[in-house]
Amino acid sequence: MTELAAPPTAGPGPSALSSRKGHGETTRRSRSGWSQRRDRRGLWFVLPFTTAFVLFMVVPLFYAIDESLYTSKLIGGTQFSGFANYRAVFSSGQFWSGVVHVAIFGAVQIPLMLAVAFFFAVIFDLGVVKLAGLWRTIMFIPFAVPAVVAAVMWQFLLEPTFGPFVHLANSLGFSSTNFFSPNLIWPTIFVIVIWEWTGYTMIIFYTALKAVPRDVVEAAVIDGTPLRKIITRVKLPMVRSAAVMLVLLNTIGALQMFVEPQILAEFQPQAISSYFTPTIYIYNTGVAGQQYNLAAAAAVVLALVIVAISIGLMVFRVRKGGGL
Amino acid sequence: MTKRNLRDRRSAGLRRYKAGAGAIAALAAATAGLAAPGTASAATVANAGKSSCSPSATKLTFWAWVPGISRAVAAFNASHPSICVTLSDVGAGDPEYVKLAQAAKAGTGEPDVAEVEYDELPSFEITHSVINLAPYGANKVKNDFVPWVWQEVSSGSAVYAMPGDTGPMATYYNSKLFAKYGLKPPTTWAQFASEAATLHKDDPSAYMTNFSATDLQWVMALMDQYGAWPFKYTGGSNLTINWTGPKQMAFANYWQKLLAAHDVNATTDVSTTSFSDMDKGIDALWLSSAWGPSYFAPDAKLTVGNWRAAPLPQWSAGQDVAANWGGSSYPVFSQTKHPKQAAEFATWLNATMASWNITKTAPSSLFPSFKPLLQSPSFTSITVPLSGSSHPYTVFAKAAAKATFEDWPPIMTEALTQSATVFAGVMNGKETLPAAFKSFQNTLVKYAKSEGFKVTT
Repeated sequence: MTELAAPPTAGPGPSALSSRKGHGETTRRSRSGWSQRRDRRGLWFVLPFTTAFVLFMVVPLFYAIDESLYTSKLIGGTQFSGFANYRAVFSSGQFWSGVVHVAIFGAVQIPLMLAVAFFFAVIFDLGVVKLAGLWRTIMFIPFAVPAVVAAVMWQFLLEPTFGPFVHLANSLGFSSTNFFSPNLIWPTIFVIVIWEWTGYTMIIFYTALKAVPRDVVEAAVIDGTPLRKIITRVKLPMVRSAAVMLVLLNTIGALQMFVEPQILAEFQPQAISSYFTPTIYIYNTGVAGQQYNLAAAAAVVLALVIVAISIGLMVFRVRKGGGL
Repeated sequence: MTKRNLRDRRSAGLRRYKAGAGAIAALAAATAGLAAPGTASAATVANAGKSSCSPSATKLTFWAWVPGISRAVAAFNASHPSICVTLSDVGAGDPEYVKLAQAAKAGTGEPDVAEVEYDELPSFEITHSVINLAPYGANKVKNDFVPWVWQEVSSGSAVYAMPGDTGPMATYYNSKLFAKYGLKPPTTWAQFASEAATLHKDDPSAYMTNFSATDLQWVMALMDQYGAWPFKYTGGSNLTINWTGPKQMAFANYWQKLLAAHDVNATTDVSTTSFSDMDKGIDALWLSSAWGPSYFAPDAKLTVGNWRAAPLPQWSAGQDVAANWGGSSYPVFSQTKHPKQAAEFATWLNATMASWNITKTAPSSLFPSFKPLLQSPSFTSITVPLSGSSHPYTVFAKAAAKATFEDWPPIMTEALTQSATVFAGVMNGKETLPAAFKSFQNTLVKYAKSEGFKVTT
């Protein structure tokens, strides 16, 4: 996942989610009431955010769109080229192979990570673990490690010559294991990403579970519902909107995956191709190839792909959310 | 001295170099109280460079990553009170070129002088990012340099950079291992191939050497020695790209045969893997550059003292063809407000004994193209622990004099980036070297055309 996609959610994420979870309907109602009583003084509170948003999101977005309509060549200079860059991106096998790779990656990694995180969240929520706070914190720590540091650390752990995991694999009979070989590079990134994000995901689920009203659970218990069913039939549906939000954030994160492979490429250049993920393709096109315009077009196309997926998930969430 | 401190001279090597032990070395450096370049060093080094400046001095900025070059900057500032050079290490190789290209595009932010490898210099010439130093007397020092090196930085009478260090190549071999298996340093590539087969047969765990297909500059240096240089560029819009000609294919087939028979070790070079293989007696020799021994030294434990230098094998017996792998030049950038002073600094740094007496020593350990030093017996007779009492620099210095001009195209950043992708299949045995040459040809031709070049193949 990239730094870009997820961290902004770190702040508003859990709180916003939990408020929505517990009182889904009330939140929606009170929100519309609030908007009617809107006070202009409120604008001052959003000014810092709006300024940063316009400067660092809106302006670069339009700059990228503008850049994408030109072609600048080493020989021949800069010319308006209309949609030529977009045609190049749409016909670029490299760009789309990256999109397919991260899509497959996300399709495997996200459900698995959500399942594992939910499992641990339920265990902590049941209150059967001693020193739960300590264990939760330990599980959360990987998220506090910057992705760059995590990638460097895992590179050394999995290093083919002296990495401890390679020695472990060898002693288990898997001789000359190379975690950075073409067949294992995606599973390797899979492990890094799972390590980084499971604790964070677990905390969001945990917070959402804490917001499930006690009386609902008590009612289920009095009815004699077995624990397994309380978890799958009572609690899980009530944290579904949190799950959908996590799917959305993680999907965007997967599509924008950059930090982990880019850092690994510093150490294992033959393992990471120049078009490994869409963002790595964009980076190499812009920086190594100096084809800023083509890179800008590819970035716009990737943004559109992300917008399309996000809208799809939002629609899904609104429909399902209505049934809560 | 740590490996991290020795990083320099070529970006591809550096990538791998960081790969292997960079971070560990950086940690070691940090614990040893040495600033790891690229982290704290920029500030420290800058202060070191500034210390002797008077407030009225002309201020110049200088980007370089050679470890210990701050010593030369301080010496320059001390002997030139009217100029004040401030050194920054903004990254070795690629990271620096990215910043330079972006500063050029932005129209502001370039340094006055920067370290640029020979293969990257044409990329800055074509965008007019570097100035002609001839009006500032650059040609006066022309004869102090080996002719092919001067050719790398000049075009007719125009001079686009001061040449710095170089990387003439030689066979750096483990003499004990050679003696054990009755091998002799190969004088021809035919002998090299047959000895490689013999060695691997006698000891299936041992290889003559490693072949690093993804190390583009290294592969190209060997191609140059074979007369199979794949580019021709003389400025302007015409560019010849030829990875698929008869010579190039013959070169690829030679190595493919060795790779297919597993007579050579398909591992990245200038990496912890290759150095550990050399030290363990798995790789018997390294087709190395003059800077190679100083890179290998920190990893060598078991074989210290065993390593000898011999000239590269020849394609025809009796020939004496050398090659160069790596090295940096020092251009003045077009955004400079003080071209005269910047040229004066670049010239002093590369064309005076005062500077070379500093940069030839560790941790810089630069190998000169500056003849007064290159030809001095006190330099060629230097001994290094790796090579015991032998004089490896004598061999490298001979190669420096005989290496030939390498005609770099102005698209090397792209070529280096794509090479890791295109040649990865050769490293894991999924693709042959000739096939990779063909696909590399297609990649580069497509790119060059999209950049507006008239491409000849």
